[in-house]
Amino acid sequence: MMNNRTYNYSVFDASPSEFAEFATHAPKVTMRAPSFLLEDLETGRKIQMKDLWKSDVVVMEFGSFT
Amino acid sequence: MAADAMETLAGRYTRRAVRSVFTYTREAHPGENYRHHTSMDDKRSNARAFRDHSHIRRRILLDDLAGTAHRAYGLLPNMTWIIGPGGFIHYKSSWTSPADVENTLEAILDFQTNRAKNEWVAFYSERSAWSTRDLAQFKEGLLRNGPQAVADFERMLQRTGALRAAPSDDVGPRIPGNFYKTEAESSQ
Repeated sequence: MMNNRTYNYSVFDASPSEFAEFATHAPKVTMRAPSFLLEDLETGRKIQMKDLWKSDVVVMEFGSFT
Repeated sequence: MAADAMETLAGRYTRRAVRSVFTYTREAHPGENYRHHTSMDDKRSNARAFRDHSHIRRRILLDDLAGTAHRAYGLLPNMTWIIGPGGFIHYKSSWTSPADVENTLEAILDFQTNRAKNEWVAFYSERSAWSTRDLAQFKEGLLRNGPQAVADFERMLQRTGALRAAPSDDVGPRIPGNFYKTEAESSQ
């Protein structure tokens, strides 16, 4: 079970299975996108992801500075 | 990451009711200068550095410290999803290719506009996608993150290099997300 420390690893190492897991276990095309609370960096306010795609198409890139 | 091109794309499609957002996850290649997150303040600080360095104008949304959204969407370091009204998933990609995103966006907008007229119905499909890799820029990024980020990546390459070799020109190098196995590998 992944906790905050294991999720936020301090040493990078590629996982052999993460890309296969993405292909098979992450939500699939034509399914309904799950929604979670995210924090807007500029305002500090919390928003529900599903409010983004109420009436618009959303391009959602995931990433980090590193 | 293809930050510049995704910013340009975002600007072009705003007027067509397309929102582009950047969901900030854990640090993919932490180092001495940009460390892994131990608090949301760490995450906010790195996200601001990213915004300022890469001139990000898209809305940056932070996942929680546990990576709840990131995990639910597949945990990869730089994936892109396209979600239609009502939460309909149109596109999921293990890496971010601005050209591929743009091609797909055009198809989605065409579908939305003309579906009733053409009596189109949506269905599941899979295909490969491709992009160039700017290894020089990637290595610059690792150096910026810190010496540990460089060392960790080099160590991973040494450990997995042989597995990534291209079995043929048709298949190309087996970067993460290329699942091809030769017959011999499949029978192991």
